[in-house]
Amino acid sequence: MRNRASNSLSKGKIRQSWSKYNLYNLQRFRSPATANRTFFQQKWTAKALSRAYHGEQVREGQWKRMFSKRIRSVVPMDTTDLAADDGSQVSAGRGSGLQKQGDKGRPSRIIPYTQMAFAPLERRLDVAIFRALFASSTRQARQFVIHGAVTVNGQKMRHPSYLLNPGDLFQVDPDRVMFATGAPKTKFERREGRQLKQKDGESEEAEGEAAEAKPKEDTEKKPEAEKEDSRDTLKALMAQAKTIMSTDKDVLPAKRKQELRGFQKAVRRVLSRSETSTVLTDNLESQFSELTLLLNAKRAEKKPQKQTKEKPGKEKSETAAVAEETEAASDKLSEAFQAAAEGEEVDASELTDEEFEVLKRALTQMRDNPIDHSKPYATPWRPRDYMSAFAFIPRYLEVNQNICAAVYLRHPVARPGSAEVPTPFGESISTPAYGWYLKRRW
Amino acid sequence: MAPRIQSRSVSTLLPYLTSSSTSKSSSIPSLCSSSQSSRQFSVSAAQQTKLRRQMFEWLATQGSGLKHHVPGETNYLKWADGTQNNRPFPNNPNFVSESILSEELRNEVYVRVIEKKKSPRAVSVELGIDMNRIAAVVRLVELERRQREKGKSLALPYARAVHEMVPTTPLAPAGERQTYHEPINDLPVHPATGAQIFYPVPESRSFTRVDAGRVFSGAPALEKDVSDKITHPSDLAENLIQRPGAIEWVGKGDNARQVLQPADVRIPHPQLVQLARDRAAHPEERRTVAYRHAERLERQEKAEKQRLQRSQQRRAMNEETVKPQGSRFSFRIKDAVVTKESVGKDGRAPWAPGRRYGVPTNDRKRGTVKIPTRVEI
Repeated sequence: MRNRASNSLSKGKIRQSWSKYNLYNLQRFRSPATANRTFFQQKWTAKALSRAYHGEQVREGQWKRMFSKRIRSVVPMDTTDLAADDGSQVSAGRGSGLQKQGDKGRPSRIIPYTQMAFAPLERRLDVAIFRALFASSTRQARQFVIHGAVTVNGQKMRHPSYLLNPGDLFQVDPDRVMFATGAPKTKFERREGRQLKQKDGESEEAEGEAAEAKPKEDTEKKPEAEKEDSRDTLKALMAQAKTIMSTDKDVLPAKRKQELRGFQKAVRRVLSRSETSTVLTDNLESQFSELTLLLNAKRAEKKPQKQTKEKPGKEKSETAAVAEETEAASDKLSEAFQAAAEGEEVDASELTDEEFEVLKRALTQMRDNPIDHSKPYATPWRPRDYMSAFAFIPRYLEVNQNICAAVYLRHPVARPGSAEVPTPFGESISTPAYGWYLKRRW
Repeated sequence: MAPRIQSRSVSTLLPYLTSSSTSKSSSIPSLCSSSQSSRQFSVSAAQQTKLRRQMFEWLATQGSGLKHHVPGETNYLKWADGTQNNRPFPNNPNFVSESILSEELRNEVYVRVIEKKKSPRAVSVELGIDMNRIAAVVRLVELERRQREKGKSLALPYARAVHEMVPTTPLAPAGERQTYHEPINDLPVHPATGAQIFYPVPESRSFTRVDAGRVFSGAPALEKDVSDKITHPSDLAENLIQRPGAIEWVGKGDNARQVLQPADVRIPHPQLVQLARDRAAHPEERRTVAYRHAERLERQEKAEKQRLQRSQQRRAMNEETVKPQGSRFSFRIKDAVVTKESVGKDGRAPWAPGRRYGVPTNDRKRGTVKIPTRVEI
């Protein structure tokens, strides 16, 4: 299907997409004026606007067949209220209860029914993948399905228009999800990837070269496989931190930069010391698990202190204060890192929570977010720009991000004061649009 | 649409230029300057429309905060009044970005259901999570563990980023009360209750939820001696949980429908109403109330399990599958029933079994949906 869904600025239509053009359109969108316009015109505009967002990949006739005027809704019940009264109070007297003028009970909120006009479209597989934050647009989700990267209940499903049933589990290939939601590669990274590919091709041809290149890659990819010299591990960590710092200078947020810098310092210290001292015998994997165990123990130990400590840390974003902190922190940090790496008991009381956090993060990143130029996204992985503005997961989906799988729990419902169908339009648009699709139009 | 690439920057990426240079970034600027002179077709710089300029202006100023997220906070568009809240669409106050289960809470659900062998119903009440969600979480965590064992690649950095961007419900520390994730006693609005009905009742009579349900479904009012036995609508719940087939039917043929039951019966956790009633009636006898509640819960779960077993048995009895050796297919064999309903008046109804001359099979007919409507697990 040809993609006519451009994010043009002049039209200003809102799409199911995370593009920054779309974000700008969303931000400047105002409900169209109704004065001096016939009711038909109002409905037409409302329909056109909302259809540009809801299922623009679905033909109009197809959608008309899917539309249902009956809208699902629920009312949350309070069990103590139900137990207190058998319902005869509200129907007492002349049929409307014996309440006095003064007390009105709880304020009842309106159920926004017409906001649910496009609820049947949320059942579609491509839309559900987009809603589960597995793709950056419905078009992309559609492509994933067509290209065979999606399974439903363990079977490959190639129809984007498959209507999910309650209880269906769909799963997308994690690499595709990382590509869709991750930042794109810079041109330098792309070149590195190309060179890697070339090297791989050459090494396949020449056997002798392969013997050299492959073990290197293996150690990069899964450090737990081989026992490594302590200095090698640390150097690798150091190199990674450096490359992150140098390549993405303008891209990284300030806070992460600080952390990385602190970590870099810590590693340098350990490196200088460990030249004479003991060697790391344990692999990185066990170091990591040990550290996390330690961290958890520490968390439980001083919980009340933690909250008080973290807040001032956040507020102090001035460079001077941070430099001072990291200087002091990295000293202890390096010691702890060394101790943990050697498999000794780490003195937990010396390190603050923040330092542990830094240590943990660095190790975690080393392990599950490595630099790998063969991937189609920028590594180490980071979310693409402006993703957070679109990041929400509706309640009718239960998502497990680790394996990129989600369960379609039930059909979306409306409840007093809120509707579960994510739509950027208010009731001034959704109500006329709903009216447009009724068999007997009003 | 990607931002427009100026022709100058394109030329640096041209393969014949980059291939000659051996991955040295320093050589690029010199190549740039040489390529500038080779622009033959355009004289002026690429035009920027006013809207485009405005957009990049906005992205650089007010929209700059949206580029990266702050861990643990939502980062949605600002509303017209300049506030930022958990509503991602500034024009739609009815859509709220609701919290998702945190990693720890998800694992806790799994531990309680699978390792501690608690029923999903009990866990649902303890943690304030919908029963469907409990089942889904167990499935997903199970799947995750299996994939970890197999050593399949996981999207861990992605998962961390999403959990930083979206509000999450944390697991309460041990000994503290868990905050509810979502309302667990949602009553689905029945379509029969949409009608406005004028139904005169004497003022002296108490008109309860049970009576209202009967009126909505068009059933005659209960006999007095029957209705006198029902002190509270939740009395019906116990009986109906044991025997769901006991719900009364009204109407004939296509119009036959079950009598609409009161909310006390139709909510997912009817036992909680009875617990609340017990608590109100006997505020002093906490232990007795808890004991009775546990008993009721046990009975309920037992009945549910029995019903499931019975239905599975019945299905197995009715449907015998035969799988020939080496075949991809298994054949379901049912006893043929030749009635007017099953094969139609002339025996050639479209839903009748077997081939009919001149009638194409369903997968060849025009207008029928060929894509699957469900996927069996």
